[in-house]
Amino acid sequence: MIKISDLQKVYRTEEVETIALNKLTFDVKEGEFVAVMGPSGCGKSTLLNILGLLDDPDGGSFLFNGTEVAHFNERKRADLRKRNIGFVFQSFNLIDELTVFENVELPLIYLGVKGPERKQRVETVLDKMQIMHRRNHYPQQLSGGQQQRVAVARAVVNNPKLILADEPTGNLDSSNGNEVMQLLTDLNEQGTTIIMVTHSEHDSRYSHRIIRMLDGQTVTENILV
Amino acid sequence: MLRNYFKIAWRNLAKHKFISFINLFGLTVGLTCCLLILAYVLNELSYDRYNSRADRIYRVTRSFLNKDGVQSLHLSSIAPPFAPLLKNDFPDIQQITRVLPSNTTPMRYKDNIFNEQKAFFVDEHFADLFDVHTVAGDPKTALEAPFSLMLTEGTARKYFGPEDPMNKVIRVNNQFDCKVTGIFKEFPANAHMHPEVMISFNTLRDSAIYGENNLLTNYGNNAFYTYFLVPENYPVHQRIEAQFPAFIDKNVHFPGAPSDFKPSKTTRLFVQKLTDIHLRSHLDDELEENGDITRVYIFGSIALFILLIACINYMNLSTARSALRAREIGIRKVAGAERKELILQFLSESVMIAWIAILLAIGLTWLTLPWLNELTGGALSLAPLFQGKLLIPLILTPILVGVLSGIYPALFMSSFQPVKVLKGLFKAGGGSISFRKVLVVVQFSISIILIISTAIVFQQLDYIRQKSLGFNKDHIITMQYDTGLDKTWDAFRNQLLQSAYVKDAGRSSRIPGGRLLDEMGASVESGDSLRPVTADIKYLAADYDFVPTYGISVVAGRNFSRAWSTDSSAAYLLNVAATRVLDLKSPAAAIGKNFSYGNTKGKIVGVLGDFHFESLHQKILPMVLVLPRASQTAGSFGRISIKLAGNNLPAALTYLESAWKRFLPTTPFEYEFMDKQFGQLYASEQRQASLFTTFACIAIFIACLGLLGLSAFAISQRVKEIGIRKVLGANVSGIVMLLSRDFMILVALAAVIGSAVAAVAMNKWLGGFAYSISMSLWVFLGAAILAAAVALVTIGVQAVRVATSNPVKSLRSE
Repeated sequence: MIKISDLQKVYRTEEVETIALNKLTFDVKEGEFVAVMGPSGCGKSTLLNILGLLDDPDGGSFLFNGTEVAHFNERKRADLRKRNIGFVFQSFNLIDELTVFENVELPLIYLGVKGPERKQRVETVLDKMQIMHRRNHYPQQLSGGQQQRVAVARAVVNNPKLILADEPTGNLDSSNGNEVMQLLTDLNEQGTTIIMVTHSEHDSRYSHRIIRMLDGQTVTENILV
Repeated sequence: MLRNYFKIAWRNLAKHKFISFINLFGLTVGLTCCLLILAYVLNELSYDRYNSRADRIYRVTRSFLNKDGVQSLHLSSIAPPFAPLLKNDFPDIQQITRVLPSNTTPMRYKDNIFNEQKAFFVDEHFADLFDVHTVAGDPKTALEAPFSLMLTEGTARKYFGPEDPMNKVIRVNNQFDCKVTGIFKEFPANAHMHPEVMISFNTLRDSAIYGENNLLTNYGNNAFYTYFLVPENYPVHQRIEAQFPAFIDKNVHFPGAPSDFKPSKTTRLFVQKLTDIHLRSHLDDELEENGDITRVYIFGSIALFILLIACINYMNLSTARSALRAREIGIRKVAGAERKELILQFLSESVMIAWIAILLAIGLTWLTLPWLNELTGGALSLAPLFQGKLLIPLILTPILVGVLSGIYPALFMSSFQPVKVLKGLFKAGGGSISFRKVLVVVQFSISIILIISTAIVFQQLDYIRQKSLGFNKDHIITMQYDTGLDKTWDAFRNQLLQSAYVKDAGRSSRIPGGRLLDEMGASVESGDSLRPVTADIKYLAADYDFVPTYGISVVAGRNFSRAWSTDSSAAYLLNVAATRVLDLKSPAAAIGKNFSYGNTKGKIVGVLGDFHFESLHQKILPMVLVLPRASQTAGSFGRISIKLAGNNLPAALTYLESAWKRFLPTTPFEYEFMDKQFGQLYASEQRQASLFTTFACIAIFIACLGLLGLSAFAISQRVKEIGIRKVLGANVSGIVMLLSRDFMILVALAAVIGSAVAAVAMNKWLGGFAYSISMSLWVFLGAAILAAAVALVTIGVQAVRVATSNPVKSLRSE
């Protein structure tokens, strides 16, 4: 599903040039659950941003379902993104002014899904995440675990092929963290490809494969299963 | 989607109450000013358009050229013979009508006697051009027969009370009887004339009143307002106005002129669209005081300025706060929002605010309109704003205002990179700071322009009030002269002077404060003969007592005197300006010189110091005072001026009235105060000044509101910095300085720009006065200091609050 080769990303300031990704090459098959690990500053987040089409690489190739997307403009990227990719962040990133229901509804609005269908799909996914009873609450009124479940609900509501999770349990205690990991595992079992950046060895054990990075390059790949 | 946008817009509005208040309040006040000014502008533009044939009616005006071909006078009315000649020579003129306003006309029915100021002789074709709505009688036929008249409803009630006025007889001018043949509704406020009484024009054909011959031959009496009707879309300037010189040469004949003399070299005719009269006609002897298109433009621009300031507030505050919304934008982008969807979202927010603002503004306009009317003496109404044609623009306005104020924040915020904002790499309110500074400079420049303009308008008006007019207008009352006094004047005057309340009384053709429009040819002694004078010298008929009544100084020679028997036939008084155009070295050199005016020879007996007979809009013109011979008194005088001691006004007026009644029992006793009349000369400037002040204050207020919000935000961004500085030993004043400095630089820049613009604009305005102040640097400095002070207080209050707070708090919270 994803095939990257010689991917490069360089951050420049006036005096310093930081190489975030250094000719990175790997691929992810459909249905895989991949964990990306490594120390701070090794390029994990940069990689995730490029995979999520939020950022573009400076060099190399990025095939998404066989299409070269490395040089897509912002509109094409946004279009591909909203149809195929869901995001889960460490800091949840819910909009404070919207209710749980409205937050989850957001991707469907941008996909142009009609009102009644939206309602039905949001309710289904809220049900699945067991936060239906909180549908009219605002994010500040929820616990961290509940907020992350809303975030996961929002990530999956448009049935993306790929979910990108950036330390999804980083702000959660262990029991809430495990719940979220279980949700991701269930989604993966239903066929969704997942790429997850994490610091946690515990969480990485939910995945099929661990890619370890250092200084913008992969150093090892462990196949778990 | 839109519902989602409005929902989040509403929640944002509710969450950030202070900023929302500033935005909403600013836009509401801005839009209210716009609506108020719009009501004024619409009213000004609507003049005379109520006539169903407004687009086809034109007025004929006449100018006079002096010997050098320079226009010396341009009257809005013409001589009576022109109308029938025009109708005859231009077959495309479908109808023509003449209106002759009479002077104050006493009218009597039984015991009800009133002086009518607005009695017009109007011909029977008037209703073929103008819309006249009658309550009784047929407007097309009521004025056909001589000695018939129509009254407005109000006037009819005044004379007849509950009686039916139709076919009753009114005595006019103590001279002739007229039958009431119609009652008409008062002309609308937005008409350029407001007749109260319309007397049939055919009455004038009676030789005792004006005379058929006079109507056909008198080219000297240019008091007839003449209007004609042409077909729709008729090229009136090419087909009619362009033919006027030939028309004049063909029809006008000056007796005794040489055969090759072309009258078109000395007089011209022009056409003027009816709907242009109110705003674009500033001729001599207009029927009523007209408006001015420049004033419409000035207030229109002020309205837009104020709205612009309010929109800038919105732009500034929205972009300044963008950091707070950066995360939301990032999330939306990650959730699949495209840039145009985000732009649309932010625009719908600003449009929604503009919508709320216009609803509030309509309410506020409704509440403040009476106040504005009081301030301006106008009678504006909101009704024209809600008429069909304007309703759609009114609905579209919020969209326009919303887009105007929202487009920049929308473009700016929608460009945020989700990676950066979600990672917290986004720097608060960055990037756009320089553009926001430009906006603040624009706001303050506008405010400073308005402050300076207001100050200069006030200085000029004060100058006019204080300026020595060259005569004393205090305690002078004036009255309409009545020909009934021609023979009894001396007795009447003696009667007045017997009272201690009265100091003096004199007669003249016109009185100070009015225009000086009459002129005849003059010649002055040069060697052994009389040499014609090329310059215009205006004349005023005045009696022996006019000069002392007004306390006008005699700088050489003497005033007219009863002691000199020759004065009554051959004496002239000049003003200093006249001696200058006669090339006399000094006023004294004029005394005893032979002088001829209007072919009457005499001697210059005195020279008067220059005095402002006309308003200060006009230059002091060369003038001659002529003492009408006893045999010519009839028709020479127009007004009586009476100088009172000023100690007991009510008693003085009672005394005057009793004296008046003894000599003129059938003429109402009516008077005016000279200083009040003089005040009216500048009434429109006075009104303009009060409006200017009001709107300038509003503009500054809204600009400061914006500054308040912006500085509050800027300061909140620097709370931590301030904490650190304080820990390191900074004192309060140092911190206030630090926080205010950035804004003060902007205000200083605005002062420079604003001063330059104001200087140009006000120079132009002052150019409209013949006598004006010179702009002083202090006004400009003062405005800059005022703006800076207001800005400093706005920022300072918050800066002090932050500077005096405990630094531990701000540092711990990080």
